[in-house]
Formats: sequence, C-alpha cells, structure tokens
Amino acid sequence: MTYFLQTLVGGLGMGAVYALVAMGFSIVYRTMGLVNFAHADVVMIGAFLAATLFVTMHLPFAVAITAAVLLTAVIGLGIERILRPLESKDLNLMLIGTIGFGIMLQSAAILIWGSFGVAVPTPIPNVPIDVGGIIVTTYQLFVLAVSGIVMLLLYLFLDRTKLGTAMQAAAMDRSAATAMGVNVSSSNAIAFAIGSGIAAVAGALVGPLLYVNPALGVYVGIKGFAAAILGGFGSIPGAIVGGLIFGLIEAFAAGPLSAYSELLTFVVFAGAMMVRQTGIFGERTVDRA
Amino acid sequence: MIRIGFGKPLLVGLLLLLPVVLDSYTIHVAILIMLFAIVAVGLSLVMGFGGQVNLAQAAFFGTGAYASALLSTTYGWNPWLAAPVAVLTTCAVALTVAIPALRLQSHYLGIVSLGLALAFSSLLSNSDLTGGASGISKVPPLALPGLDLSGPRDYYYLVAIALILVVGFALFVGNTTLGRRFKAMRDDVLAAAASGIEIRYYRLMAFLLAGLVGGVAGVLYAHNARYVSPDTFGLGVMFLLLAMVIIGGQDSVWGAVVGAVLLITARNLLTGIQTYQQLVYGGLIVATVVFAPRGLAGAAADLRRRLNLPWPSILIPWLTRPGLPPPARLKVAPPAPEGVALRVDSVSKRFKGLHALVGVSLEVGAGEIHGIIGPNGSGKTTLFNVISGIYRPNSGRVFVWGRDVTGQRSFRMSRLGVARTFQNLRLFRQLTVLENVMVALDRDPAQAHIRYLIAPWVVVRNERARRARALRLLEDFDLHQVADELAVNLAYGRQRRLEIGRALAAEPTILLLDEPAAGLNAAEQEGLKATIRKIRGAGVTVVVIEHNMNLVMNVCERLTVFGHGKVIAAGTPREVASNPVVIEAYLGQGTPEAAAL
Repeated sequence: MTYFLQTLVGGLGMGAVYALVAMGFSIVYRTMGLVNFAHADVVMIGAFLAATLFVTMHLPFAVAITAAVLLTAVIGLGIERILRPLESKDLNLMLIGTIGFGIMLQSAAILIWGSFGVAVPTPIPNVPIDVGGIIVTTYQLFVLAVSGIVMLLLYLFLDRTKLGTAMQAAAMDRSAATAMGVNVSSSNAIAFAIGSGIAAVAGALVGPLLYVNPALGVYVGIKGFAAAILGGFGSIPGAIVGGLIFGLIEAFAAGPLSAYSELLTFVVFAGAMMVRQTGIFGERTVDRA
Repeated sequence: MIRIGFGKPLLVGLLLLLPVVLDSYTIHVAILIMLFAIVAVGLSLVMGFGGQVNLAQAAFFGTGAYASALLSTTYGWNPWLAAPVAVLTTCAVALTVAIPALRLQSHYLGIVSLGLALAFSSLLSNSDLTGGASGISKVPPLALPGLDLSGPRDYYYLVAIALILVVGFALFVGNTTLGRRFKAMRDDVLAAAASGIEIRYYRLMAFLLAGLVGGVAGVLYAHNARYVSPDTFGLGVMFLLLAMVIIGGQDSVWGAVVGAVLLITARNLLTGIQTYQQLVYGGLIVATVVFAPRGLAGAAADLRRRLNLPWPSILIPWLTRPGLPPPARLKVAPPAPEGVALRVDSVSKRFKGLHALVGVSLEVGAGEIHGIIGPNGSGKTTLFNVISGIYRPNSGRVFVWGRDVTGQRSFRMSRLGVARTFQNLRLFRQLTVLENVMVALDRDPAQAHIRYLIAPWVVVRNERARRARALRLLEDFDLHQVADELAVNLAYGRQRRLEIGRALAAEPTILLLDEPAAGLNAAEQEGLKATIRKIRGAGVTVVVIEHNMNLVMNVCERLTVFGHGKVIAAGTPREVASNPVVIEAYLGQGTPEAAAL
C-alpha cells in the first residue's frame, strides 16, 4: 500500500508537467485546429532558456521563468505567422510544417547550448517531507502549486475576460466569430503565444526534475501531446486529467519493467485511443456527409 | 497511364554503370542513398498515396535490420534465410502499427505511430537481446558464389537491383488501380467507401507495403554495414525520411528518390557540421509545405504544364495499341428487377439527445424517380447516410431489392448496387476527372490485388479497359475535354456533374442524389433534369433530396415530405402540393416554396 501511494505521489509531479504541456497543445488546437508538433521542442527551448537565465546568469527563478515565457511566446508567434497561409487548408501539411519547426528548434538548441545539456538545481531547498510514511519533496509540491496556478489563470482568462471569450467563439465558429467582429487571426496568434508560454513554464519546472538537454522535447513533449489526446484534444480539463494519467502510468511502469516502460506507456495509450478516439473529455464530432 | 520514356532506361543504365567510375567511398555513399531511397519510397506509398501519417517508417527500417542481424548472429542462421524472415517480421510489425490506423487518422495516427516508434527505439537501447546502446556487431555478409558481397562494388549491384525493383513496383502500383484506391481514400474517405472501397483493408495494405519495402532496405543495410545500433533508426532518421518525402513531393515515387539523393548527398557534404544540416532540412520542410506543398515533383509538374512540354516518351505498344477492339459502350446499369427497389421500415437514428430520424418508413418502386423534401435539419441526409451505410440505425430495417441490408457498411452498399452523391461535393480532389470515374468503375474486390504479384499483365489489361469505359462515360457527361484536369480545378457546375458521373460509374441499380441542384444556374438545372430522366431511362431507380421545387415537381413521380425527423406526408407531387398538412405544418403560407407549389 505504501509502495502504491509512494508511486502515485511520485507520478503526480511529472503528471503536472505533462498536464501543462498538454494544455499548451490543447489551447492551440481548440483555437485554430492546428496540431503543433513543434510544441514539444518549444518546451525544450523553454527549459534551456529558464536554465540559462537561472543557472548561468544567476537571475532569480521567478525572473528566469517569466523571461523564458516571454521569449518562447515570441517563438510561438513566429511559427504561427509563417504557417498562417496553410491554415484551414490542409491539416496534414500543417502538421508536417510544425514537425519541420520542431527539427529546426532542436538543432538550434544544439547549436546554442551543445548536445550535452545542463543540470539545474531546484530553486527552493528540496527537502523530503514525511506524510504518514510517504515521502513528498518540497520541489514536488512547488511544481504542483505553480502548475495549479497556471491552470487557474488560463481558466480565468478563457472564461472571464472578453479576449478569452472571443477566442472561444473563434474556436467554435470562425465565420460567425468574424461576423461578430472577432479578429480570428489575432486570436490564433494569441493562442499560439499562450500555448508556447505555458510550454516554457513546463520546461522550466521540469528542468530540476530531469536533465535539460536537446532531446528533452522528445520525451516530455510527446508524452504531453499524447496526454492532450488521451484527455480529449482541445479540452482543458482533459489536458489536466490526461497529463496526470500519463505521469502515473509512467511512474508505475518504471518500477518493475523499466526497459519496457516506454513501450508499455505507448501501447496502453494506443489501446485507449482505439477504444475511445475522442479521449476522456472529447466530444464526438459528426462528419457531415 | 504507364509510360516508359527515354528517361527510365537511361537512368537504369546510368545506375548500373556508376560503379565503374566511382571510388569505393563514393560507392559506399551511393549504397546508402539507394537504401534511403527504398525506405523513402515506402513512406511515400503509405503517407503520400495512402494518406496515413506514419511516423514509424524508420522503425520498420530498423526492424528489418535488427531482425536479420539478430537471426544471423545470435541465432546463427544463414543470412539468406534470415533475410526473408526479417522482411516478413517487418511486415508483421507494420500490420501491428496499422491496427490503430483502422480507427485513428491524421494527427491522432501521427502521435500514436510516433509514440510506438519512440517505444521501439527505447526498447532497442534497453533490451539485452538487441545489445542495448552498443547494438549488434559482426553481422555476416550475404554471400553469393562468384560475387564478393562483403565489398562495396558487388554489393552496390545488389542494392541497385533492389532499388530498381522497388521503384518499378511502386510506380506500377501508383499508376494503377491499387494506387488510385489509395489516393481516393486519402482525398475523401467517405466518398471512397461509397465508391466501393473497403477502407480498413487499404489502410492495412498501405502499411504492409511500407513495411515490406522498409524491411527489404533494413536487411540490405544490416548486411552491408555489418553492424546495427539504435540511433541508426531513431527519430532523427524518421524526420530525415519525412523531409525526403515532403521535399521530393508526397505522392511521387520519383520525388522520394530525388529527396533521398539530395538529402543524403547534402548530409555527406556537410559531415563536420551535422547540426546545421538538421537546421537546413527542418527549414526546407517548412519552406516546402508553405511554398510548394506538392514538393519538387509538384513544382516540376506545374512547370511542365506551364511550358506545355510533354515528357519525351515512347508508349509501350501493347498498352495503347490502337488496333484493339473498342470496348463495349458503357452499360449504365443492368436492367432493373421488378418490384420494390428500396424499402425503409420504421428507421430511427439518435445522436446523443438528438432524434434525427423517428420511425421513418418509405418505399421506392423499381424505376421510379422519388423526391425527398423537407426543411433543413429534418433528417433527409441522415436517411441517406443510413441507407448508404455511413450510419447504422438505432432501430428499423432497410431493404434493397427485398434484401435486408440494415447496418451494412458503406463499401458493401456500393457493391450491392446503391450509389450516392453528397450534399457538399466529395470528389477525390487530387485525382483527375478520369481517375475519379475510374475509381468508381473499378469493381474488383480487394483480393484481386494479388494479381500485382502473380499476373501483373492482367492488371494492365483491366486498366486499359477501364480507362476506355471511363472515357465513354465522361463523354456522356460532356466532361471528356477535361478528363486530365484535377477534379479540384473544375468549375463548380462541372464538379457537380462529375460527382453524378462517378456515382453512375459504379453501375448502381439505385442512385441517391443529395441536393444535386444546389448552386447550379438555370441552364445547368435544366441539364440536370434531363440527366436524371436519362439515368432513370437506363433503368436506374433514383431517389433525390432537393430544395429546388421546380426540379422536384417536374421530375419526381412520388414525394416523401420530412419534418423533424418524421415522414409527414407522401404521394405524387400533386397530392403533396394540395395536402393541407404539408402546406400548413411544413411550408407555411407565403413562403417561396409554397408559392412554387
């Protein structure tokens, strides 16, 4: 039982990171229908930026993470601008275009930071706390708290602000939203900027948990993406639940079968998707004949 | 059509003469280029032709290589026995990866296949069986008496022959029935199914071909490099393959080959600065999708069209021999059986809370033109979707010529003689007008594709006959002048006509037309009326959903009126027009539709 709970708690930290990555994917997808494969590498860039500012330039963690968010937001805006001509034309082509961006970001990271990567110390003293026999570290709590705050802010933005509501409207019906005076292009750009910004938060938080290196996007990003799909693509609560599920599957698979943990994770994922394509919170859309 | 130009024999000649002038290092690079070209052709078949976003192609390559390496080292098999077993293993792996594709498409399939590829890499680096990160070394060479296959020069010929066979086979598939069905399924999956294509089978087949080709390249790689390691088949290689296919042109076999030549050459020229090459090919992918979505092959085709240059080519005489007997004039339909063509018996269909159809019954007699009218959202198209097998009804039954066909799938309904058009045009956009019709004309079951292996000449012969029949049909629809245009480039009225022509090409006994007059001008509407009468004249029973009262009142013999998912009236146009229920409850006084009655 203790083993079970310990693994459960262990999975929550990475789960929160996956949930953040998944939210970044989802906000772009729900707003413009674009599947941004480059998102995984934006997470990695965010992690590097935060690590550089925090470790090398000795800036406070809060400043480092904010600067990383702003810089990746700019990268997101750039990707959106370049792929804009393909929007609403060909989903598969756009998807491949974002893969192209991912490759570029990865090699840019290798050029700037080298292929070895950096170890990042935790921004707060990392003390284990014993809660009824289960060990929780302060950094895990920190990750959960920051993720929770970001999720709450995003929810408030989408639900309570005029701009957020306009973006939701643009997501539901482009032409109707345009007719109502919503600038759909700028709403897409904002979605991209927010998505990339959240990616940087995820990257900054995951830095001290893993080792920041150019392949980080492949591991964290792809699982975050898979989490978004598992939760129901485009759904914000879905992203959170999907992320936590992935964190947990990974934690439980890592113990006894570590050589096969990736295989197990993705086979479970593929199986789940076969059973319910729309994910946990997804709506089935009717393909109108 | 299949043409052998001057180019192909010339290329083959060059390929075979190349080793004479090259040094052994360059031959080594050439072997690598050819291997990548083979894998890329496989990716082009599954993704470019089949529309399946397969991000596991590098893993197929790796499966072939690892399986052959493992069998011939750890298990001590003769390499010539290990090789075919490894190829078969790869085919099995490809079919397994294809299982998710039966339900998942586009980005869903992309992430699932990418995930499985990632899992494959992680398995290779972590498992003891595959030697972990250090891989498997001392893979024995393939040996043939009289040849030195451990040296690059003789091995070059082995790989060159494999490349010629693979490219030849891919071109053959791509330009004939199988490739056309792949492309139809890629362009519009619903219309493809409604044209009689069993989608599941073709998705599996696309992956199978990609696996087969990838496995062959993998085996050839392992016995050439004599060493396999996980990073040769990782995500970096997957993205490299993707770049080859996208830059070369997705649905072009030659594009994939050219992509492989360009990128591997570039990679070898830029060896010291590996990260820059990645930056460059990432950038090339982005530039290609934005500026030349159809890649180099597409750009070349556009240029050729603009300059009006035909490829210099000699047609294979037995393919287009003019002296052949002209094919019989297209029989639009077999003579219709007597009696009730279509019977719908209290069919209901619910979507979550929405009752789209509630206990709908109707009967259409043989050879009748039957109209279905009703406001938007009253369930007319849903009924067509139930009849044509896109939806399975929650209750009730559908009979075609007295046979219970309830819940049969779309492709089967097409084979049972029910064809349809769609409210919002569903043409195979990137196929030519002629090919659109040929897809529907092609009534061969999927098993017939075994002919590609055992009797390719039959494929060619059938293809020729089909082409001639398709041209005849296009003449009937006055579309023969644009036979070689892409469907997407046609004017709207012609697209509508083509869709009806395509539906008829399937030789249906029952034709379902969903708002065929939508968007047509007055002259085109008159043409449509004549066409519908002509179709019935050929013995086809026609059911037509239409808002255009002029057309409905003049052409239809009987009408069924829908309201809120129910049948609210039925009868001859005259009866329906004077039915107070229809006028009061549905049309309402003073609407344009009421005025038309």
